[in-house]
Amino acid sequence: MVSLLQACGVVKRVGRGRASSEVLAGVDLDVQEGELVAVLGRSGSGKSTLLHLLGGLDRPDAGSITLAGQSLLGCSQRELTRIRLRRIGFVFQSFQLIEEMSGEENVLLPAGLPGAPPGGALRARNLIEELGVGAVASHLPHELSGGEQQRFAIARALVNEPALVLADEPTGNLDSVAARDLLAILRGLTAAGRSVIMVTHERDVAGAADRVLEMVDGRLR
Amino acid sequence: MLATAAVVGYGLHTGFQRSARGADLPNVIARFDRQPLSRVAPRIEALPDLAAFAFRLEVTNVDLIGGAHRSREGVVEVLSPGRRGFDLLAGRELSVRPGEAIVEQGVARSWGLRLGSRLLLDGLGALRVVGIAESPDNVAFPLAAPRIYLSRPALDARFGVERDPQVNVAELWLKDPRQLDQVLGQARASSYGLRGLRVITRDGVRVLLDQAAGIVIALLVALSAIALLTAAVMLGASARAEVERRLAGIGVRRAIGAGRAHIALTHAVEAAIVSIPAGGLGVGVGYLVARGPSDRLLEAINELPPGVGLLAPLAGCWALTALIPVLASGWPALRASRRPPIALMRGAELGGRRGGRSLLGRVRLGGNLVGLAALGARLVSARRVRLLATLAVLGVSVGFILLMLALASELNTLQSDPGSLGKRYQLTASLPAAAVPQVRRLSGIAAVAPRYEVQALDSFSLGETIDLIGYPGDHTIFEAPPLVSGHRLGSDSGAEVGRGLAQVLGLRPGSTVAVELPSGHEARFRVAGIVDSLQHDGRVVYVSSRALLASEPSAQEQLAVRLSAGASPVAVTRRLAALGAKPKATGGATDRGRSLIAALTAILRAVAIVDGLVCIYALIQALFLTARERRSTIAVLRACGADAGAVRVLLGGAAVAAVAPAALIGVLLERFVLGPAMARLAIGYASLELSAGSGEIAAVLAGLAVLAAAAVLWVARQAGREPIVVALS
Repeated sequence: MVSLLQACGVVKRVGRGRASSEVLAGVDLDVQEGELVAVLGRSGSGKSTLLHLLGGLDRPDAGSITLAGQSLLGCSQRELTRIRLRRIGFVFQSFQLIEEMSGEENVLLPAGLPGAPPGGALRARNLIEELGVGAVASHLPHELSGGEQQRFAIARALVNEPALVLADEPTGNLDSVAARDLLAILRGLTAAGRSVIMVTHERDVAGAADRVLEMVDGRLR
Repeated sequence: MLATAAVVGYGLHTGFQRSARGADLPNVIARFDRQPLSRVAPRIEALPDLAAFAFRLEVTNVDLIGGAHRSREGVVEVLSPGRRGFDLLAGRELSVRPGEAIVEQGVARSWGLRLGSRLLLDGLGALRVVGIAESPDNVAFPLAAPRIYLSRPALDARFGVERDPQVNVAELWLKDPRQLDQVLGQARASSYGLRGLRVITRDGVRVLLDQAAGIVIALLVALSAIALLTAAVMLGASARAEVERRLAGIGVRRAIGAGRAHIALTHAVEAAIVSIPAGGLGVGVGYLVARGPSDRLLEAINELPPGVGLLAPLAGCWALTALIPVLASGWPALRASRRPPIALMRGAELGGRRGGRSLLGRVRLGGNLVGLAALGARLVSARRVRLLATLAVLGVSVGFILLMLALASELNTLQSDPGSLGKRYQLTASLPAAAVPQVRRLSGIAAVAPRYEVQALDSFSLGETIDLIGYPGDHTIFEAPPLVSGHRLGSDSGAEVGRGLAQVLGLRPGSTVAVELPSGHEARFRVAGIVDSLQHDGRVVYVSSRALLASEPSAQEQLAVRLSAGASPVAVTRRLAALGAKPKATGGATDRGRSLIAALTAILRAVAIVDGLVCIYALIQALFLTARERRSTIAVLRACGADAGAVRVLLGGAAVAAVAPAALIGVLLERFVLGPAMARLAIGYASLELSAGSGEIAAVLAGLAVLAAAAVLWVARQAGREPIVVALS
């Protein structure tokens, strides 16, 4: 197994002065290629903050994060944008599909951005079919069920063939059947060599992962 | 903007009445060729309903020196005892001591003269300034010639009493201004023998000034309405977004028992806490910005600034600017509080957001930058009311900018292009008719003919003078104002009449126009046709030179010179000068008021720039509110790897959705609504083509594109500064 992502001594503080507190107090993490890692923790424990740091959406106050041998800390905003475009896919808790775009258009969106790998349209069509939402591809988000919305969100995360998929509470808005289907999809991603990190507060959801890490007092156990 | 419009509009609208009252302006000012006082005074004294009268001797083209400045076109008003008809802004009345002068305020300001300063007057030597005056019967220096006032008793004290002094101006104050028509009729009957009589009434001065100021006021009022609409729409949208952000809080307050009125009132009070001082600040800034230029404009047309009279309109502006945000905040809060508290606490929306019901419908978005731009267009069009309001604001603004540019261009054309009068000759030469063959032989000349002009009065009602113009033969070779009805001049008894005169006298082809000539003779002509002429407000009559000279042998004679195609006016002027003529370039319709037109043109262009600022404000607000409401969409894009350029493309699409239709609306509005309406408002006696040219349209569209690009860059920069995780939360 080859290490894809390494985080070492990651610290993140929020607030200033006396109101300042450490959300992450020295997190260490090593994720291998093709591994599904679940980060379990209570609400407000810092799971989402860790996910944002790992995805280059935010910067840590201390520590280091390395993705495929490249340190995220030394990157400019432009380089971080490029990394997010080509190497990282995000699945958000509330899907975050753009309301004015159909499911298919949402999937196509990252593929149309400057610097995206070519062939996005074909990949988007294939992903939509593979995830079983081809029949509703032209529907707007509010015309879709929660499970369908989440599948489009996953397709959007995968359309540029990222090495790492970060999923924030991916089953949070789904019923039990849809949640089970989603976990199967995430599991399938690792089979294709992608690494997946999902954060959740549900222990049975975390149980589907290769490895479960628990966030307690700003550290991973 | 509102305060600026109030300061300028109120100042101009009320300026004349204020100044006329302060100056005790006469009801009638009659100018005539110089006459002995003994010949004029009995006729004036015999007029009915007179409260007072005074005489002046007005001497023009006087050499006047003040400090380092000099003018050979000075006007000296020699005042006889009696009411004076101007306002003394500083200093005192003229005494009987020689060597004292009162100067018009424009001269004092431009030449840096103060009380006690010295003036040099050709023939009189040094004079001391003892007063500074303002007289609203004419515009101020430098728009008019420099004017000073001297006392006749002081001149008499120095040069000896003149037994029968010469006068050429009579000022009449009536007991009852409503009797003006009767007094004018009586004056008309007793005016025979007074050559060069020109009469202007107090109302006539007001009408002339209102014509110029009216356009500026109308434009400012329209601009204020646009600014107010923009502010109301944007404040409303902003307040709505703020209420949406605080829905959970409203839900909590409703849950613990707060009433709907209480919640609406709370939001209204919060808005008032900000809007009252902000509105006051805005009105104060608008007042400070506009007061200086407005006062200078009023000074330039010899009117007084409004002073404390401006307090009421400014207070109204303040109330309005404070009230709009209060209503814009209170109303959405009241609407939101209709929802069940539990729905509000869950973060329900105010409505109208979901469903993709954008004005663009379900246009398919491609997966590329064009698709991104189309998404931007779809985002901005999802707020239909706001987009329509933005389109209205931008479209009307563009229309007004085009209108003002068209007006400025038209004024320039009228000022400089003789063709605007239908004139086809480029030069006049002060040579007798006998010199025509000699001039014709000069190179560069296509046609030449003697042109006769005389100022006459119509025989039925006293008022403005009429320009009577005569050519031998076909006058359309030299002057061809468009024929509106009837036919061209064909006989010595016929006349082509300007539409302005035809409207005043109710003339039609076949009617008879009777005019009184300076010699006292009356001439009658049958109206052959009505022509569109801008000269002298359309009060012009074209007749044959034979008929004109038969009635008025002393008519002013000069040669009208039409140049060959490609001939140099400078070279022809030189050749004509070599013959002993004094060649003069033909002017446009407003040639006499060149300075005033230049000032008006500058104001129109400045207002167009202010309108442009309204445009960029509306655009930035529309984009900013879209970006603020759709911050999570932009954050998702950025999280997916969209760089700053992609965000700019997104917002660029939104800007295009607002700007492109607005530009079309603006162009059509100016071409088919504003231009024709303004042309009718400005000139009712001729057809004026008031539409923006392709160059002006291209310039405005390019300017709009630059403004849109600037707005996109600024809003994209602001959106890019927000951390993605904050926008996602």
